[in-house]
Amino acid sequence: MNSEKMNVCIIIPAYNEERSIFQVIRRILQLHPDFTVLVVNDGSSDRTEQVAKSAGAHVITLPQNLGIGGAVQTGYRYAAARGYDAAVQVDADGQHKPEELDKVLEPIRLGEADMVVGSRFVERTGYRSSAGRRTGIVILSSLVTLFARQPLKDVTSGFRAINRKVIEMFAEDYSTDYPEVDSLILVKKEKFRIKEVPVEMEQRQSGRSSITSLKSVYYMVKVSLSIMMKSFR
Amino acid sequence: MEKVQIVTMALSLALLVLVLQLIRRRYLREQYSLLWLFFCAIILVFSLNTKLLDTTAALLGFKYAPSLLFLVGITLCLLLILHLTVVVSRLAERIVRLTQELGIMKHDLEKYEQGADRP
Repeated sequence: MNSEKMNVCIIIPAYNEERSIFQVIRRILQLHPDFTVLVVNDGSSDRTEQVAKSAGAHVITLPQNLGIGGAVQTGYRYAAARGYDAAVQVDADGQHKPEELDKVLEPIRLGEADMVVGSRFVERTGYRSSAGRRTGIVILSSLVTLFARQPLKDVTSGFRAINRKVIEMFAEDYSTDYPEVDSLILVKKEKFRIKEVPVEMEQRQSGRSSITSLKSVYYMVKVSLSIMMKSFR
Repeated sequence: MEKVQIVTMALSLALLVLVLQLIRRRYLREQYSLLWLFFCAIILVFSLNTKLLDTTAALLGFKYAPSLLFLVGITLCLLLILHLTVVVSRLAERIVRLTQELGIMKHDLEKYEQGADRP
């Protein structure tokens, strides 16, 4: 596929991200003026919608909060209906660098993979995180590796590009609340190819992870169960 | 007629009237109303005929007849709750879908009104 002709939709799920989202959108549009930046405003109570619009993004405002999965899926449904060739999910908190977009899009462009995950762990990159979080990710990553029969490291990374076929699949079937890990299994079950590429990530500019320490045990149990259920579906 | 029989009969009749009222006022959908009418009928039959419980329990080998009542009652309650959680899950899925569609349509309408982004 020719790089000039690829229609790319950048999907940014946002819940109360007015402080960081302007910069994120501007930097993406500066580097890639031909991309569509779509912000899915997941029922924010702050000025996320106005800020995103003023930065030049398309904004879909959901009338009520659906959670990250429901918000991202809205973007995929939009991209599927509009016939985009590729979609990239980018976090609104500035964690994912727009300079790295080419790295996750390149394998899609070349047709080498159907889904590309921008990973913090494939090679040594500048990203630091807490020991607890790293342990959690290692456990989930080994579960995914086991059930997807492909070694994957940064399974919770929200920085991911998908091609047309996977967009269409996600538009119909995507987990609502903690979708990052699940969706890898879904993709593998449909025999799509996943590629993990190393990317640099920023520390968060603002906001915090949707996974706080109190919820993390619940998160781990739920996601593990979900992985196994998806595998035997 | 024993006192206890009057009490149970009154209770089951009250339940029946309540269910019928709810159906009449359309607070209950048809698919669930049948289920509840069925429950009412069973309870009414057992309260009218006390011997029935004893004979059924003896037939199934229960030494203490009321334990059959508890077993059946609790099992039915659990199944009903399970069914309701299935219903709730399905509803939740539909609400998500509707919310997404509504968001997309609002966006498209806004673009249309601005006269931009015509396909």
